[in-house]
Amino acid sequence: MSEARFKLLVAPPAIVSSAILVLLFIVLLYYSLPAIREYGLGLLASPTWKPVEGAPGEYGLLIPLAGTLVSAVIAVLLAMPLALASVVFTEEILPRGLHRWREAFVSMIDVMTGLPTIVYGLWGAAVLAPLLGDTLYKWLHSSLSFIPLFSCQPTTGNTILTAGVLLAIMITPFIYAVVRESYRQIPRTYKEAALSLGTTRYEYVRIMMGMAKPAILAGALIGFGRAAGETVAVALVVGNTFNMPSCLLAPSYTVSSLIANQFANAQLYPLMLNVLVSGGLILLLIGIASNILGIMYLRRVRYVA
Amino acid sequence: MPDWRRVKDRLFTAATVALALLAVAPLFHILATVVVRGGSVILRGGVSFFTDPPAYPGSGELGGVGPALLGTLWLGLVTSLIGVPLALLTAIYIVEYREGRLARVARVFTSSLLEVPTVLIGMLVFLVVVVPMGRYSLAAGSIALAIVMLPYTVSYVERALEGVPRTYREAGYSIGMTRAQVVFQVVMGIASRGVAAGILIGVAKVLSETAPLLFTIGSARGSYPTGPQSLLEPGDALPLLIFQFAQTPYSNWQDLAWGAALLLTLIILAIFTLLRLLFREVKL
Amino acid sequence: MEPVEVKVSDLNVWIGGSHILKGVSMKAPPGAVTAVMGPSGSGKSTLIRVINRLIDLIPGARVEGKVLLGSLDALRADPYEVRRRTGMVFQEPNPFPHMTIYDNVAIGPRIHGLARGEELDRLVEWALKMAHLWDEVKDRLRDYPHQLSGGQKQRLSLARALALKPRVLLLDEPTANIDPVSTVKIERSIMEYAKTTMATVIIVTHTPQQAARISDHILFIYQGRVVEYGPTREVVLHPRHDLTRKFLGGEV
Repeated sequence: MSEARFKLLVAPPAIVSSAILVLLFIVLLYYSLPAIREYGLGLLASPTWKPVEGAPGEYGLLIPLAGTLVSAVIAVLLAMPLALASVVFTEEILPRGLHRWREAFVSMIDVMTGLPTIVYGLWGAAVLAPLLGDTLYKWLHSSLSFIPLFSCQPTTGNTILTAGVLLAIMITPFIYAVVRESYRQIPRTYKEAALSLGTTRYEYVRIMMGMAKPAILAGALIGFGRAAGETVAVALVVGNTFNMPSCLLAPSYTVSSLIANQFANAQLYPLMLNVLVSGGLILLLIGIASNILGIMYLRRVRYVA
Repeated sequence: MPDWRRVKDRLFTAATVALALLAVAPLFHILATVVVRGGSVILRGGVSFFTDPPAYPGSGELGGVGPALLGTLWLGLVTSLIGVPLALLTAIYIVEYREGRLARVARVFTSSLLEVPTVLIGMLVFLVVVVPMGRYSLAAGSIALAIVMLPYTVSYVERALEGVPRTYREAGYSIGMTRAQVVFQVVMGIASRGVAAGILIGVAKVLSETAPLLFTIGSARGSYPTGPQSLLEPGDALPLLIFQFAQTPYSNWQDLAWGAALLLTLIILAIFTLLRLLFREVKL
Repeated sequence: MEPVEVKVSDLNVWIGGSHILKGVSMKAPPGAVTAVMGPSGSGKSTLIRVINRLIDLIPGARVEGKVLLGSLDALRADPYEVRRRTGMVFQEPNPFPHMTIYDNVAIGPRIHGLARGEELDRLVEWALKMAHLWDEVKDRLRDYPHQLSGGQKQRLSLARALALKPRVLLLDEPTANIDPVSTVKIERSIMEYAKTTMATVIIVTHTPQQAARISDHILFIYQGRVVEYGPTREVVLHPRHDLTRKFLGGEV
């Protein structure tokens, strides 16, 4: 095969692969435009969701957007300590003679990364939500209801907080992978220098984590992007109700779960499809932006020895 | 060392271990629940769990996940037929012409697909394939899944190809090989395990995805996709069945969801095990 | 087969921004071994990569000048044609790890459709004998090369190149990381191949001792320029240039 024919074989696939992202952006933008024209800023700012058959209804994405942000923030806040502790556990606590254990732990995290999200969702709906609803939420409400976040009476386990907890479980392995990779690149001399100061493990880890700070931020951002985009698992536990997520113990909605539930039938309602696509466009922008920012932080990780 | 430093250190170590164990604890609970609940359903259903369509909702009967299982296998096959060549050739382009602009664009744009929520892929395929075709189909689902597969397989294969030392390429060229011969006979051969791993990871992703199927394959609970002609028909898949049955109030359908979850988990774990076995690279 | 003289005239090579070879001219006659020597970074490896056009693979490389392989204008010709007529052995032993010992030697003749069946078997045997490897591997031709020692791997790389019976054989410090026994065998192969087939052999080496042992002519390059060129005896015994004397004495 000549050089020219080889290029003719491999260039079109490369072009097709590159074009998908562009096509996605253009199609989402194109279908969003009617909604943006009709509702303007109300699309983002209005909490109303009133479908009308045969006429444009009133649609605002405020509640699902807030739900997406709140659940993803909860997920990151809960996942960070778990992920960082796991990094310290595998890199600093386990290695001393327990090589097998370390490999086993890392394999478990790997399996968590690969487990189908729908399995998390099924478990979340059938096990986690009832469990949290019957125990933690009742306790939170009875003892901490003076905090607005816990002020509402929990009636079900399917809440924005459950979505956050389930997402935290799901994104911990991703954050772990990002932070661990960077943590392992810290040159030995720094580790030795820190240890030679007579630091305790706690003090030592604090120094190391300080060095890995950009990677930690990157992990948080990438985890946030994942959490914001996750669909089926969230749809099974978030409650799918148009409630402002100002109280965490109530059901709510996220953009992705709204799309999952409504998109297939949206064509029956004028403009609803366009509104949902514009929600998708926002998810796309969140996903890409958190990834770009994450990569920018990762680039800052340069350990010069 | 003052006492409080030692105490703080002990507390820190204990808390770290506790949090790390807490991070993986859900995995055990999930696996145990899936095995216990799904296992009892599969044992109850026996062979017919794998072959029958779901029974009527709310009836005492169980039925099976036959059409969804077959649909998942078809989706895996057709997706691979589209996605694997696309991903391999894209990765080859990125590595072979790495200095060029298209290669750089292709690398950034395909890897960005990794961060695109997969539900949006489903949305895209709904708008550009399902609507013009006028119907849901397994083919549309395969297109969506091929897009999901693309970034995983491209980035793995790309890394595998990059990992082949330059000297082997030079050796290939030095005996008069063309670029195509160097790529397909030397580089791909040396990187074959990495390439296989990239394909397997892509397939595992594809089999476990739900969101791209929501608006693409429709749902055909009772009909079996038997041949290529059924690719243009709506179909079902294990993850989609789990998602939809989990939301129903019917206990026999919820049971099927658990059985399907166990089946899906076992398929994914089998692929992972295969990956582990593969990932002893070609000895150089 | 026609003997092929390699003739390089006024060769300039830039890689990125740096000027690697500065007006290099040289000749390598057929039936003889020409050693290119010089300290590391002097441009030796680049020179032989220009001769077989592997330089094309290096991004940002620019070449000016003329390289003749007999009557073939190597810089203008189809690079694949150039590489078919030349063979190369590299510093690091690099038999293809995913091919058997037999296939490693057979791959060249196969892709060019030169031999098959028993004819190919005979060609493989000839190449392995020429590389002084046959006795060690004749019973395990279907094994993969990872069990071979570094020196055996390098002789296998040599056999792979020889199987195409190249009129020009290029070697880029082929014994730099090789055990002494294999080094001797490789040196013998090279000399025998040049003499028995009237091939043109160009070997890059950083040790003057090797150049003295095996070459008929020496080209001494320093910082991209030719310092001295002549018959080996003369260059070694009566170097005309101070730098050459220092290099031979191990000072550069």
